[in-house]
Amino acid sequence: MNVELSELTRRFGRTEAVAGVDLEAGPGVLGLLGPNGAGKTSLLRMMATVLPPSSGTMRLLGRDPGSFGPRREIRRGLGYLPQNLGYYPGFTVAEFVEYFALLKDMPPRQVPRAVAAAIEHVGMGDKARKKLRTLSGGMLRRVGIAQAIVNEPELLLLDEPTAGLDPEQRVAFRTLLREFGQRATVIVSTHLVEDVAAACSEVTLMDAGKIVFHGTPGELIAAGTGHGVGDAPLERGYTAVLAAARS
Amino acid sequence: MTSGHDMTDEYGSRPGHGPGPQDVDLDRVWTGVAAEVWLRRPGPVERLAGRLLRSPGLARALLTTPSLLLGWVIASAVVLGTGALVTLRTGTPLVALLAPALAGAGIAYAYGPGIDPAWELSQSMAIGDRMVLLVRALAVFGLNAILGLVASAASGAAAAVTFGWLVPMTAVCALALAAATVGRSANVGVLVGLTGWLITVLSARTVTGQFSAALTSTTLTVPYLIFAACCAAIALYATRIPGGTS
Amino acid sequence: MDDDALMAAVAGGDDTALRELFARHAPWLAARLHAALPAADVEDVLQETFLAVWRGAAGYRPELGSAGGWTWGIARRQAALWLRRRGPAELLLPAVIAADGEVTGRPGRPGDTDDPADAALSRAELAAAVSTLGPAGGPQREIWRLMYLEDRTVTEVAELMGVPVGTVKSRAHRVRQLMRAALRHREPARAGGKR
Repeated sequence: MNVELSELTRRFGRTEAVAGVDLEAGPGVLGLLGPNGAGKTSLLRMMATVLPPSSGTMRLLGRDPGSFGPRREIRRGLGYLPQNLGYYPGFTVAEFVEYFALLKDMPPRQVPRAVAAAIEHVGMGDKARKKLRTLSGGMLRRVGIAQAIVNEPELLLLDEPTAGLDPEQRVAFRTLLREFGQRATVIVSTHLVEDVAAACSEVTLMDAGKIVFHGTPGELIAAGTGHGVGDAPLERGYTAVLAAARS
Repeated sequence: MTSGHDMTDEYGSRPGHGPGPQDVDLDRVWTGVAAEVWLRRPGPVERLAGRLLRSPGLARALLTTPSLLLGWVIASAVVLGTGALVTLRTGTPLVALLAPALAGAGIAYAYGPGIDPAWELSQSMAIGDRMVLLVRALAVFGLNAILGLVASAASGAAAAVTFGWLVPMTAVCALALAAATVGRSANVGVLVGLTGWLITVLSARTVTGQFSAALTSTTLTVPYLIFAACCAAIALYATRIPGGTS
Repeated sequence: MDDDALMAAVAGGDDTALRELFARHAPWLAARLHAALPAADVEDVLQETFLAVWRGAAGYRPELGSAGGWTWGIARRQAALWLRRRGPAELLLPAVIAADGEVTGRPGRPGDTDDPADAALSRAELAAAVSTLGPAGGPQREIWRLMYLEDRTVTEVAELMGVPVGTVKSRAHRVRQLMRAALRHREPARAGGKR
């Protein structure tokens, strides 16, 4: 188990962004779905050790991120792509990926090869020495994915990774997800339901800070038969579950 | 592995080679070539810093500090140099008054949400952002101190003034740092730091009639240091590493 | 973009041109090297080859041959260097003999050799074949050592041996004939030999 969350809560003032989440995840690709404001980003931030929980327990990669040493160890095996990843305009693609590889405390000898492999993996090999300010939004997103995977993380957290990617690139990205899902825990927060269908082995649906569904995509589809609204089976399951949770 | 007879894979830009011999991994070969070709070779300063800090990542983070970049350093040197010239001519200890302000601005522009676009990502790094902040702040302070001392000595000011501004500078830097980390903005840090310094200088002048009072008055030394310590504590608290439960 | 233009771009520091050259030439170079070296060594030699192309592209002269041929020349030298460091010289033999027959590389014709010798020669067979060249220190053994083990150019060998270039060439021809005969002679004794 790479992720063990128990009654995890996060409050901002009076509101509970995350209201008591229990979650366990091993290797594989987990899709995190939910409407805006459901708490997906806060949950992801807590797992990325960027946001401290207000209460509850969390174990990541078998360690408790509450203390300095284990947290550092967790972060070495972590890959995170925030929803809004800024970039350094004057850096090249290779410099950017290398910068974060170094900050992830990768052994320096391994860095050049790892950076090259990550850049090629996301299909930016022909732009490796171009400055980031010359790239489009979709390309920048791919660079962001590259920095997330450069240290071959055991826990890969991606917040809306496919924003700005065209359909062809999204297909390639899903292949990458499946590949990483064989060895690592990949948690993808997305509101594009078809991304989930294609790549995830498990799906979690959040609403108002709580988990309202956890199971396979097939089970989500089954929840929607006859009830839900939507064009695709998963969409119907999604809306059906949400409706049930809110009633 | 190699991607069959397609000249491009789904992303459309891998080296679109056809298959080589069965057991030869051409992708791996290209990765090895690319690793060399794309390699960024750190300069001598960075390598030295890496050895001193025992961390190449920290060294790289240090040398990409916005307020340590060559342009900034040169600008600071020019400002202080001009100050030294003015001091030589008019006697107002301009260098000593400017140095804390410059240092404060430099500290505020060292690190943080206001200045680092990839701030959130930086917070998830194994080399913690607090460590980076500490190293950067010390480096900026040290550099500005050296520049200031050189300019001060060159301007022929009295010894009390030449060194006297180091303590106020510490206080201003701490203030700027605290403001930047609490306000999560470099600009807030600069504003608060400069304003604080300005107020101190002006009020000292109103009391004693001299600009340099804020610098040479020994009664202020201890208050400065206490103030600096408080600000440092505030900064430490504001950057507390997100722990388990809090 | 044609190969010559790509080479010029690489000389100017364009890494995407190198990438394109790699895409075009790495497969057949790998196949040709694989005839003489195991896969892991092929990968290392190929990597060194393209790094050498990256560093030395300024030295490429289109009027002297094709980019593929030039690159093969580098690959061959890298393979020789590699083996010199690693040991067994017998593995170099087929690549050397095959390559010698081609003045310029012909891309797309990997492993093109009608030579019966293949990469899996044993030390003993090679030693026996080499002994047919005459006593150690003799002219043919020297040619064998300098040209095929140390991969020197004809001009260098001529200088070292103190003989004209023409003599070196004819001696090398004789050496190849003798080696081919000696190796072919051993052919029936080996199971799974080529041809």
